[in-house]
Amino acid sequence: MSSWCVLLDGSEVPGRDEIGGKAWSLAQMRRLGLPGPPAFVLPTRVCREYHAAGGELSEPVEEALRTGIAHLEAETGRRFGGAERPLLVSVRSGAPISMPGMMDTVLNLGFDERVEQALAAEAGSAEYAADTHRRFVAGFAAVVLKADLDDESLPAQELRRQVAAQLGRSVPEDPWEQLREAVCAVLGSWHSRRATAYRRHSGIPDDLGTAVTVQAMVFGNMGHGSGTGVLFSRNPLTGDPQPYGEYLPGGQGEDVVSGAHDPLPLAQLAERHPAVHDELLAAARLLETAHADVQDIEFTVERGRLYLLQTRDAKRSPQAAVRLAVDLADEGLITPADAVARVSAEQVRRLLEPRLDPTDRAGAAVLATGEPASPGVGVGTALADADEVVRRAADGEPVVFVARTTSPEDVHAMIAATAVCTETGGSTSHAAVVCRGLGRPAVVGCGAGTVERLTGRDVTIDGGTGTVFDGLLPLRRIDADGDDRLRRLQSWVAEQAGIEVVTDTSAEVLDLDELGVVEAGEVAAAVADAGTGAVAVRGSVVETADGVGAAIRAGVRRIVAAEPLPVLLAAAAHRRAEQGSQTAARLRRSA
Amino acid sequence: MQTTELVLHGLVVKKAGTAEQIAAVLGLDEPEVRAALDDALATGDVAGARGTFMPTPAGRARLDAAYPQAYAQVREDTTVTSAADRFEVINRKLLALLTRWQSVPQAGSTVPNDHSDPAYDNAVLDELGDLHERTEPILAVLAGAVPRLKVYADRLAAAYDRALGGEHDYVSGVRVDSYHTVWHELHEDLLRILGRTRQE
Repeated sequence: MSSWCVLLDGSEVPGRDEIGGKAWSLAQMRRLGLPGPPAFVLPTRVCREYHAAGGELSEPVEEALRTGIAHLEAETGRRFGGAERPLLVSVRSGAPISMPGMMDTVLNLGFDERVEQALAAEAGSAEYAADTHRRFVAGFAAVVLKADLDDESLPAQELRRQVAAQLGRSVPEDPWEQLREAVCAVLGSWHSRRATAYRRHSGIPDDLGTAVTVQAMVFGNMGHGSGTGVLFSRNPLTGDPQPYGEYLPGGQGEDVVSGAHDPLPLAQLAERHPAVHDELLAAARLLETAHADVQDIEFTVERGRLYLLQTRDAKRSPQAAVRLAVDLADEGLITPADAVARVSAEQVRRLLEPRLDPTDRAGAAVLATGEPASPGVGVGTALADADEVVRRAADGEPVVFVARTTSPEDVHAMIAATAVCTETGGSTSHAAVVCRGLGRPAVVGCGAGTVERLTGRDVTIDGGTGTVFDGLLPLRRIDADGDDRLRRLQSWVAEQAGIEVVTDTSAEVLDLDELGVVEAGEVAAAVADAGTGAVAVRGSVVETADGVGAAIRAGVRRIVAAEPLPVLLAAAAHRRAEQGSQTAARLRRSA
Repeated sequence: MQTTELVLHGLVVKKAGTAEQIAAVLGLDEPEVRAALDDALATGDVAGARGTFMPTPAGRARLDAAYPQAYAQVREDTTVTSAADRFEVINRKLLALLTRWQSVPQAGSTVPNDHSDPAYDNAVLDELGDLHERTEPILAVLAGAVPRLKVYADRLAAAYDRALGGEHDYVSGVRVDSYHTVWHELHEDLLRILGRTRQE
């Protein structure tokens, strides 16, 4: 195969440096024998040559595109720009290291009027073909041409007219021209302002270059027995080993992710297509083992045939993070040191936050309900006056801030309160963004009259469910010592942290809170003033990641904290970062 | 607007602040702001302790009474009001984006973003950059009518640069001049200039 065009058929897996992270992941899937839509890559050297040539596709690259498309045509039995069984493709960027500023994916590329007719005949729906054409024009206009379209639901030809009027440039009619322009846009985006700035900040070399991946489209919305979905190899909310998935019959990939439609539980797939369901679960197990982590897999079924579109390590809840790390270590998929690296101090801190007991919750009177905007539970006296909230909180009284709306002026009250409740706004309001930023429990949009009803009362705010309860309900902590997984995680991290963290000590302790040391930058001087780095320290600053790092650099080897586990995890993370340990590098590579 | 009222306005948008902070919000010289704060202290329009000032109820009343006249022309300028309408559209998109920065929709629920996936974070930073670029011309129109608003464009650009440089806190952090902190103040400022009511 020419070094200008790499086929992702699993026969070879070049390095990430050559084909970029996304294509590398696709190649790995094919190598495992898993079904993915056929694809080829223009490697990163194409990017370097393109810019060296002043932004021109050279003849070898044109040839590579022809070779690659011919491969996709052979694999799919379709023709690019064909009047029968047309081939549509996606074009995406793929740098060896993820960075902002790179061109987004263009989908459904390869359209002209004849292709639309052919697609209509094949799908038995002119409407479907017209809609796919419209999606292509809108996507190409926004991503490649950077047009600003007000209404993307207009017909394709109308969108083309608007783009031409706005930019004096059109969405090409010729599929090959569409492909060339999209490829040039990907290569050009390597030198976008944002990508250049990011590389400068992050010390990524400017000549690394991006690869371009071209992949055949598959359609979850074509005909019977088609659909699209997402599968997690284990439950990312609870950490339960049972796979968790959603399936949308007749849907396209975006539909599930965007949340525009309500998908069905995975059991529906098992009922409709038992063989596909079994194949999918087997693939999930294989990928989980290969990546040594829980996978979040996007898939499409086209006329009863399964295609895996993408796999990545799943995002997870704090609870799941602990359970998955310990379980995977128990199963031998990862080492205890890996498990420690998989759980952040912040996740454990959230997990250890006090919570409501289900029986207390069941017995409590509900005063108001709204949207859950920021998780966690807070109790206190409800007050509507921001200044009063700040004053009484400063006296050590637990207070809840209730407001009709919140403005920047109220932020100091939100900082001081144990929780926040508003009458208006949704989970994407300014108040919600501020409360999540603070880790402050919040229920928003409780409706008119809530402030009046609650002010002066003792209340409990449950930001996870969006409920305001009457009275000060008891908050219960998870006992880290009583939880088997937390206890084992703690024993593993204690070996990696390089420092000792204890809940109490009879020896001398340097109390940084008493000294007024709250910034990580002040820790070193405070420790030096105390005369010896060997002394134990305590204080809120050494319960933050930066503070722990600063203390360790200052020679501290012993920290006193009410909850040792998050501090130990922060210390271990600091140590890994300092050592640039192989574990961290391997996790990054597989991320 | 008179400098004293402007300083009151800065205090209300920011809620309490030092002369230095208020000067930065308003794009004024610090000595000028300091003098105005001293005047407002004397008339009882602000209260101050240890260099930090807060508007008093009397100061607020004086400020609210000053807006309609001070911004009468601006409020009738349709290029300004339609720019503010476009700002509201972007505001909704921005808040939805910041929500995705903080918490990730997953398996029918959401999980906190632990920032372990650079591809996810970079996609959000990219969208933030797009929204920022779409906001710039709107701010240029607004600053054409109220020149001091230019300061927000600079503050937003500075926050975005720091976020892009890997300082995650500068996206939606509360205790720093993050993109959201500045945006929130800008939004409040616009609502006050135009005499509009906050929807949430």
